[in-house]
Amino acid sequence: MINQINIIYWCFLSLVLGGSLFTSKNPSEFLEVPHKIMIKHPGEKKPVQVILFEIQNEAGFPVQYRMDVNSVICLAQVCKVIPVTLYWSNTGQYQRYELQKEATLEKYEADLFETDDYVKLDAILKNDDSPFKDVYIEDIWTVPSTLSEEVDAISGATILELDEKDTVPGAALTCYTLWHWANGNIVSEIKNCTSISVSNEQLEVFISHRDVTYFDIALQALQDRNLYEAIFVDAVMNRILKNEALLDRGFTYLEKAPIKTYLQVASVLFFKGEKLQKLAAMRSLLEVDTKVSVAYLEEWTEVISTLGTFQEVSALLDLIEKKDIDSEEVNTSVTPLLQSEFLIARRAYWFLYKQRLNPSQIKVIKAFQKKYKARL
Amino acid sequence: MKRRDFFKKGTKAAVAAGVVPMIFTSCANTKDIIYDKPNDKWYHLGTGKTGMPNRKPVVTYDVAVIGGGAAGICAAVASARNGSKTVLVQDRPVLGGNASSEIRVHLNGVNDIKGKAERETGIIEEILLHNRFENEQESYPVFDYVLYDFVVREPNLDLMLNTQAVEAVMEGDVIKSALCWQATTEKMFTINASIFIDCSGDGLLAATAGAIYRTGREGKTEFNETFAPDQPDGWQMGATLLMSSKDMGRPMKYSPPSYAIKYTHEGAHPRRHFKWFKDGIWWIEVGSNDDIIADAEVNRHKLMGYLHGVWDYIKNSGNFPEAENLALDWVGSLPGRRESRRFIGDYIVSERDMTEHKHFEDCIAFGGWSLDEHNPGGIENISEPPSYFHYHFKEVYQFPFRSLYSKNIANLMFAGRNVSQTHIALSSSRIMATCALQGQAVGTAATICNKRNVLPRQVAQKHINELQEQLMRDDAFIPKRPARDPKDLARKASLLFASSTSSGDVNNLINGMSRDIDGTINHWKSNGLPAEIQLEWETPILLAAIELKCDTNLARNIMMRKDSRNDELFGNSVPKEMLKTLSFEARINGKWQKLGNIEENRTRLITLKFDAIKVTAVRVKMAATYGAKNVKLFEVRCYA
Repeated sequence: MINQINIIYWCFLSLVLGGSLFTSKNPSEFLEVPHKIMIKHPGEKKPVQVILFEIQNEAGFPVQYRMDVNSVICLAQVCKVIPVTLYWSNTGQYQRYELQKEATLEKYEADLFETDDYVKLDAILKNDDSPFKDVYIEDIWTVPSTLSEEVDAISGATILELDEKDTVPGAALTCYTLWHWANGNIVSEIKNCTSISVSNEQLEVFISHRDVTYFDIALQALQDRNLYEAIFVDAVMNRILKNEALLDRGFTYLEKAPIKTYLQVASVLFFKGEKLQKLAAMRSLLEVDTKVSVAYLEEWTEVISTLGTFQEVSALLDLIEKKDIDSEEVNTSVTPLLQSEFLIARRAYWFLYKQRLNPSQIKVIKAFQKKYKARL
Repeated sequence: MKRRDFFKKGTKAAVAAGVVPMIFTSCANTKDIIYDKPNDKWYHLGTGKTGMPNRKPVVTYDVAVIGGGAAGICAAVASARNGSKTVLVQDRPVLGGNASSEIRVHLNGVNDIKGKAERETGIIEEILLHNRFENEQESYPVFDYVLYDFVVREPNLDLMLNTQAVEAVMEGDVIKSALCWQATTEKMFTINASIFIDCSGDGLLAATAGAIYRTGREGKTEFNETFAPDQPDGWQMGATLLMSSKDMGRPMKYSPPSYAIKYTHEGAHPRRHFKWFKDGIWWIEVGSNDDIIADAEVNRHKLMGYLHGVWDYIKNSGNFPEAENLALDWVGSLPGRRESRRFIGDYIVSERDMTEHKHFEDCIAFGGWSLDEHNPGGIENISEPPSYFHYHFKEVYQFPFRSLYSKNIANLMFAGRNVSQTHIALSSSRIMATCALQGQAVGTAATICNKRNVLPRQVAQKHINELQEQLMRDDAFIPKRPARDPKDLARKASLLFASSTSSGDVNNLINGMSRDIDGTINHWKSNGLPAEIQLEWETPILLAAIELKCDTNLARNIMMRKDSRNDELFGNSVPKEMLKTLSFEARINGKWQKLGNIEENRTRLITLKFDAIKVTAVRVKMAATYGAKNVKLFEVRCYA
């Protein structure tokens, strides 16, 4: 079922998007939607208003973003400022930069960029963990190249030690300026624009996309649009069944679903999921203020002896205790656990100890108590 | 001087021994010495009595710590917390030494190793966090009070301010007492103690005890040091006088005082730059190739002259238009000292120990500031760079305990810039947070001396494991030395698990490594909040304490800075990663019972103590951090 859904989604993707999600097409077919937004650049004292262009294909799908920026921030007005156009994917990932025809970037003391420098700049901008992330612009202004500079302990160390691989020597300010434009809070702005622009059909594709960023954008849009139809819920459920790392984010969405839907999904995750899915389902139920029927948890407890770890057993018993379930069937399912490895057996003992038991169950737990008196 | 001799010789002997300079501070002469005053003619109109009451108190402690800078505070607090009745003797009216409001040096440590801090933990971490809670305004005078609070709240610790240890009273190779002059009360205290720790920087007490020491620069060959001069000489790094300025929003005139020394910057080395000049210029520094302590007042006057000379240059040379609206807001009167005596221990740390990352079995501290050796002469040798910054470390180096006690005075330890090391090694280890780690180590060692009735050397020889384990339990970090405390019951748990994990592994919490380092992850990080960890024991244990080490982002500096820098490398507030709200529960007879909760945690090391109870399981429920969406822990310990 899950595989079938995926196959359909991927066929759908190519039909709806025409393969334009990742490939460029003739620009004339694209629509450019301007967004006026405020961006905080660490080189600027105040947030700066910029125009971010969302590039949509003929289906209205955002395929790319671009923005025009200046190559350097230069207070002393002595730097040569070159307009640069930056491009991002629809998830906010920096892709490339463009200069106007015949424009050239400059280094310190009017040296021009070499061909290799342009390539290197692109690589620097693609590194979202660049050392420029942590550098002060004041340090760049006074250290024009890859000097190692340090101040003494007496006034506090500032070390600007950029490896040559991390910067274009002589153009640290350009690298710094463009890196923060390319990798700053523009990224979250782009994600936000994409989540608003995409259609519901496209969201289905996003949920299953191998790039988790699409999943995050989809979840945001689903919640913003209050979309809890089965097609979306099932897609999210299937995704988190396969990817444990997404459980937390998935449940944030699922917990807001109508109660019936939520309980159904929790059950699927409990019965079909591995340890982490089971634990996530139980933890979610423990935390949400939802009333659960006795039958619902009786069904869960039927498989308690198949749970692989103490943590799972204990979580389920915690859940039954928290929801105040009084059930002979539950007690019947739990009693055999007294024969399990000791930690599980002891947990079961203390659970049963508080329950209304039948005479045979009382006999069993008394025997357990006698045998393990010193370890309870 | 032998103690008996001192009392026999009385006043004259004391004068000769050096009490006099303190008296001079109140414009008196030698005849006015009043700590022993049979001729005092005080007539008290209120009581009608004549004569001076006794002003020679004798007090007794387990441990006496001399010097209230970062090293001394950490030594005293460690000693007190570990059970020794302790006194901290500080010759200034405020605590903090070079970081106090009197001097205002940033309390640096391992600020930058490959772009990230590798912050010191333990008591100095607790102090810096305390400051972030109590001093949001980042005021140096308030920092003095933060430190004061940090010290005086310790129940086992007494603080004596304005008090200088001027003379050791000896019995053989043991210090029996320290004579301490309290300038504000005209009292001469005799402080008896089993262990003395000199963290005063200049080390007057240790020197008068007869402890071996040296000053100056070792020659290259003595320790095979790359950066040492070819021949030994007397040069010591100088002291610096700092200042800060304020933007008044309008042009401000400045005219230098009479004692200003003209400064032109002609012939100055290019590394003598003026970056951050608004907050002081560290190369306004004067050193000495001779008796730097004796020269201190002459040099202080010079420094005041140089400071105003440089400020005159900034304000009036026309080269600094950005200074037009600036005015001096604070000017130091007490230079921050870098170097004087270095006492000799059983081991002398040298350059190669640091650059080659020697592993010491008796390692108790670490460092990582660059080999930041200042030029001989400071501002009086202007063509030289102000510091040579010989070497930048790519990982932390280790510091051994054998360098923290005297080779020839049996009950004397030291921490700070006066420890057993070469001039080149000092150029890195002099940094305050590194000194603070040494302080915590000697304070802790002092308590072992008292508990075991041994001397510091025996701690190094027979009890080093105990010292290291106690330090790590108290949140110090020892490189490449995992904790393995046999008393820690968490290590004996049958099962340890967590509610959720986004990175690391919950079993890292008992692997003995309390930080991520050397590319190794030693943490557990939740996936969201609330989160919990749980420990199960198959056989019930007797439990009286639970201890956690939570994340405070050791890769980001948190010391107070004049520029309030706030970025990835320096933070100016409480670390958002730190655990804020949590509760502790234990399973007793099958039922979870609350042991306690903490609403506003303020420390990396979180300890909950309670009356001993028998439990089969413990769980820690974590509800909030100071902003991070996940909580990260490095360690959990349980003790009977």
